[in-house]
Amino acid sequence: MDLHISAPVLFGQILIGLINGSFYAMMSLGVAVIFGMLRIANFVHGAQYMLGAFGAWFLLSLPELFPGLGLPSIGYWWALLLVPLLVGLTGLVTERLFIRRVYRLHHAYGLLLTVGLALVIEGLFRIMFGSTGAAYPTPELLKGGIRLGVIYLPLYRLWVIVASAIICFGTWLLIERTRIGAYLRAATENPALVQAFGINVPVMLTLTYGFGVALAGLAGVLAVPVYQFNPQMGQNIIIVIFAIVVIGGMGSIIGAIVSGFMLGVIEGLTKVFYPEASSTIIFIIMALVLATRPAGLFGRDDGGSHGGPVSMDAGAPGGDRPAMARYLVALGLIGLVAPFFVYPLFLMKLLCFALFAAAYNLLFGYVGLLAFGHAAFFGAAAYVTGHAAKVWGLTPELAILSGVAVAAALGAVVGALAIRRQGLYFAMITLALAQIVYFYAVQAPWTHGEDGIQAIPRGALFGVFSLSYPWTLYLFVLAIFLIGFAVIYRTVNSPFGEILKAIRENEQRVISLGYDTSRIKLIAFIISAAVSGLAGGTKTLIFQLVTLSDVSWTTSGDVLLMLLIGGIGTVLGPLYGALVLVAAQDYLASFGSWVLVIQGAIFVLCVLFLRGGIAGALEELGRVVRRDRRKAGLGTPPRAPAAEEPTR
Amino acid sequence: MPERASTGSTSLEVAELHAWYGESHVLHGMTFSVRAGEIVTLVGRNGAGKTTTLRAIMGMLDATQGAVRYGGDDLLSLPSHRIARRGIGYCPEERGIFASLTVEENLMLPPKVAEEGMSVVELYEVFPNLRERRGGMAGKLSGGEQQMLAIARVLRTGAKLLLLDEPTEGLAPTIVQQIARVFAVLRERQHTVLLVEQNVRFAAKLADRHHIVEHGQVIDVLLGSELDARRGQVEAWLGV
Repeated sequence: MDLHISAPVLFGQILIGLINGSFYAMMSLGVAVIFGMLRIANFVHGAQYMLGAFGAWFLLSLPELFPGLGLPSIGYWWALLLVPLLVGLTGLVTERLFIRRVYRLHHAYGLLLTVGLALVIEGLFRIMFGSTGAAYPTPELLKGGIRLGVIYLPLYRLWVIVASAIICFGTWLLIERTRIGAYLRAATENPALVQAFGINVPVMLTLTYGFGVALAGLAGVLAVPVYQFNPQMGQNIIIVIFAIVVIGGMGSIIGAIVSGFMLGVIEGLTKVFYPEASSTIIFIIMALVLATRPAGLFGRDDGGSHGGPVSMDAGAPGGDRPAMARYLVALGLIGLVAPFFVYPLFLMKLLCFALFAAAYNLLFGYVGLLAFGHAAFFGAAAYVTGHAAKVWGLTPELAILSGVAVAAALGAVVGALAIRRQGLYFAMITLALAQIVYFYAVQAPWTHGEDGIQAIPRGALFGVFSLSYPWTLYLFVLAIFLIGFAVIYRTVNSPFGEILKAIRENEQRVISLGYDTSRIKLIAFIISAAVSGLAGGTKTLIFQLVTLSDVSWTTSGDVLLMLLIGGIGTVLGPLYGALVLVAAQDYLASFGSWVLVIQGAIFVLCVLFLRGGIAGALEELGRVVRRDRRKAGLGTPPRAPAAEEPTR
Repeated sequence: MPERASTGSTSLEVAELHAWYGESHVLHGMTFSVRAGEIVTLVGRNGAGKTTTLRAIMGMLDATQGAVRYGGDDLLSLPSHRIARRGIGYCPEERGIFASLTVEENLMLPPKVAEEGMSVVELYEVFPNLRERRGGMAGKLSGGEQQMLAIARVLRTGAKLLLLDEPTEGLAPTIVQQIARVFAVLRERQHTVLLVEQNVRFAAKLADRHHIVEHGQVIDVLLGSELDARRGQVEAWLGV
């Protein structure tokens, strides 16, 4: 660390920090407004920001894009007005078509839905524009700059800071000091009552979402002359924004604004004093804030939102060992026969991801904790296993065990920080903590950055059985899968597992029965992390390769998607889900960016139409068949009753 | 108590109302009507379906069947905000005060639905406590003050029909007396009131008619004057 920092460098970085902070503040503000009113963690906010940036460029380039139509080129100032309106309009449509369908569901579905939408939008833009960016000229009026003591301040950057401050202050005034704001704040507390007073709450929710999205669009327009813009720009910023919103206190308007500017500056200062940490500092601060003030700097502690139940119950009643033995024997037999029909590498990948999904299911399906950072455990174990096998020369079982140990330890740390929060807070915190692991993997020497660890030897099991024979390897993977599956199954169907399910249904009641639920949840978290690590380590030996994608948030999204497709909280759901996703990825690999679009569309469709997953659909089918044999029951409600009471 | 002649036309009519919470069937054909200018109660045990009836009238339930007519229109198919706009004011159970808003913001929150509402000045005359605390956070008010605020809030809107859910619940006797005085104001301003109440003694002094509710149905109707005479029977129904 170099402590002799020149003043221009220092002030220059503070200035850059302020500019980044201006964007952080505007974006976090939109996310906070949407979260506060709709209880939706708007993961698509980054994509909407990207829409704003592309919108401005699109308007400017109309003559080149559509030659011959005689369209005028629409410049910056008009774009500043038009683009937020247009992007806001897409927000209104999005709310009407998608978002409003999940208000009454468990908060997980809102996150899944917006993740899906983000993937679709980003995928489509990648298909249209590739992943390279374009440049946008600084508007004429704001060219040049002024000299402030030791630093030169470009006018445009000054404008960004001023504009952001005005927008933030204006939004704060609107919400805290006007009648419309009072409606919004009241509806945050009790939307049903506000509506019973004669206010059209559904329309208000639509407009609020549109407003939040318009803020993202506006930030996008402001950003184009400063930053390179490309289809990934939204994805890069959204996780940082979530961390900032958590730091400020979720749903707190002032918290989002202050934290946005503050963290921008802190990030700038980190670039001066300890550049290695500049990409993780925000997540580290988030961890520190959570450890001391779980509700965030400005948050009121309302314990997080609590939606309806996440899914159907896990079918298997009781923890009888014969049932477990049946499952294991059946899966084992299918596993032994399958390689005669299906490509073994495909099967092994399937087994790894099914195990990963089963581990995640323990936490999300059975305890109801929406973790969104399981890639950290999967990926960390993958890296450690790879390093242990390649550099330390450990045998495969020891290499995997060291990966599992690291995943479990990491699980203990992340779990301890996150477990005190519930619902979406929990999701955002685990996501942000996982990003620390991700950026560590980007920067640490032993993980080899973009290259990853390659050509990892499979070695010989116990030093005896060489895993380079396909059958040995396959049996080894199958055995690991069955062991891991048994661990999860046993945990779920034990007295401990019954407490976990009770926590999912009603944590307060479990506490009142005298259980230390934090400790129980933490244990479940560690088991889940360890088994995820088992899956990750095994995957390393199969593919002899670890890359950054193993620790990236998209892998956390994949495991969530697998579970959603397969059936949340069901025994075989993880297997079905992994089958669909692994098959889809295999067959769609040649379609490039369409994979993102298709994957995102699956997210959205599953959330809207297949919330029970494949397992749920199969069960429903069985139920319909049984019902057909009996006579239809009487006294059913005329209109389909909502599955859950509105609890927001 | 002298019988008050209720000459008004039918204001609210609830007929064969059924309602469900998820799978459980809560209202089993509630039927009653309220004439304009009347004060009418629903009394009954916990869980009998009184609050659910009010919520069903306000359109706050998803699964309902039957009819709720007000001013000639069927309300049951309308969304809740449009029902309120027809001139119905709702004071929910637990008062429904927005704790993160100031007293005055709470007071000003429900939009005016008719011209004849009381002005803020008039309301502060009736509820002097609220004037003193107008700038403070509503969550900090005492239970009695919150109840006053909840009633004041709907009086400002000009709603003619008021649905009040247990306004005396958990309040000290002196506060209950204050609320009884508020009912004199309601009577004077010719509001129609549907009151859910468990405090039979309180209800007996105020109302024109009492509907005894059990298992989601009206099982008997008593005139205001009859309640005292048949108190033994009523208390047996209520299980007190």
